[in-house]
Amino acid sequence: MHVTVVSPERAVFDGAADAVVAPAYDGQVGILPGHAPFLALLGTGVLAVRQGSASSRFTIAGGFLQVVGAGGGGDAVRIVADRVEES
Amino acid sequence: MAKPRELRRRIRSVQSTRKITKTMELVATSKLKRAQDRVAAARPYAAALTEVMGDLYDPELAERFPLLRQPPEGGEGPARRVALLLITSNRGLCGAFNANLIREARRRLDELDRAGTPVDLHVVGKKGITYFRFAKRPLASQRTDIGDKPTATHAAELVGPLVAQFASGGVDAVEVVFAQFRSAVSTPPTVLRILPVTPPTEGRKDGKGMASPPSVLPSFRRSANYILRPSAEAILAELLPLYVRNQVYRALVETTAAFYGAQRTAMKNATDNAGDMLDVLNRTYNRARQAQITQEIAEIVGGAEALKG
Repeated sequence: MHVTVVSPERAVFDGAADAVVAPAYDGQVGILPGHAPFLALLGTGVLAVRQGSASSRFTIAGGFLQVVGAGGGGDAVRIVADRVEES
Repeated sequence: MAKPRELRRRIRSVQSTRKITKTMELVATSKLKRAQDRVAAARPYAAALTEVMGDLYDPELAERFPLLRQPPEGGEGPARRVALLLITSNRGLCGAFNANLIREARRRLDELDRAGTPVDLHVVGKKGITYFRFAKRPLASQRTDIGDKPTATHAAELVGPLVAQFASGGVDAVEVVFAQFRSAVSTPPTVLRILPVTPPTEGRKDGKGMASPPSVLPSFRRSANYILRPSAEAILAELLPLYVRNQVYRALVETTAAFYGAQRTAMKNATDNAGDMLDVLNRTYNRARQAQITQEIAEIVGGAEALKG
C-alpha cells in the first residue's frame, strides 16, 4: 500500500509500506493492506511505517489519518499531521 | 565639461553600487528558489486538508460550527466588525512590493470605512507597520519576527487570537492581504477572506482564493462510507482551525516568495541601470581625457612656436 506522511511545511514520507501504526486520538491504530476506508483524528505519539524489515518512525501530533482504496493498485494511506519530527 | 578626476570618482562609485546590487540580486535569486520550494512543499498538506474538508462538509453540520458562521444578512453581506491581517516584508529594496500590498490594504480599509464597518488592523512586517504608524492608524497587533522561513507555528500564533475573536463574536470576518505568488514576476496583492470559512469546493472557481494546487498525492476517490473516528462532526471541528491556519501559513510563504521575486527584479533593474550609467560615464570620461590631452599638446605646440620667435 502507498503511504504518504505530510506536515504543514512539507511531505515527509512518500512510498510503499507493509504496515502503519499510528497514534489515533484514543489509542494506537494499526493499518494493514486491505483496510476499509477510514478517517480518524490523530493524537500525539510515534508513527511507525514498516516496509519489510525496515521501519521509519516519526513523532507526530494532531491532524488526521485517512485510508482510501485507491482503486486497482491497492490502498493508499495518508497521514496529515500537524507536527512531524523524524525520529 | 566635467573634470576627468570628478568623472573618475563617479565611475568608481557607480561601479561599487553595481557590485552591491549584483550581489543582492544573486542572494535574492537563491532565497527565491528556497522560498519557492517551501511554497511547493506546503501543497500536499493544503491539498489533503482541502480535500478532506470538502468530503466532510455538509451544510447541515455547518450550522453547528462557529467558524462557519456567516456574517449577518447572509452571504457576503456587511459585517459588523472585520479583522484585516496585512502581510508585508521586514526589509525593502524590493521595488513597489510593499507599496502595492499597502495600497491593496488601504483600498480594502477605505471600502470597509465607507460601509461604516470598524476594522481591526493586524500587520506583519516592518514595512507595513512603519507605514500605518506614519498614517497614524492604530494597529490591533503587529509583529516583525517572521523572517525568511515562516512556519506553521508562526501562522498558528497569528491566527489563534483571530479565530478566538471570531468564535466569540468579537469580529464577523477575518481577511488577509498578502502577495499571491503566481510566479516570480506575477505577485498580485490579494485579499482573502479566511473567516468565516468558505467551504472548499472543487476547483475553487471563485478566483478569490488561492489557486487550488494540483494534487501531488495519488488520487483519493471520494467515498461516503468512511469509518469515521470519532465522528464527522468532531473531525470537522478539529480540522476547521487547521484549515484556517493553513491558509495563513500559505499566505506567509507565498508573500515571502513574492518578496524575493520582487527584490530580485528590483536588484536586476538596478544592476542594469548602473551598467547603462557606467557606459555613459565612461564615454564622457574618455572624451574629457582626450580633450585634456589635445589641449596640452596644443599648449606645447603653441609654446614651441612662441620660442621660435
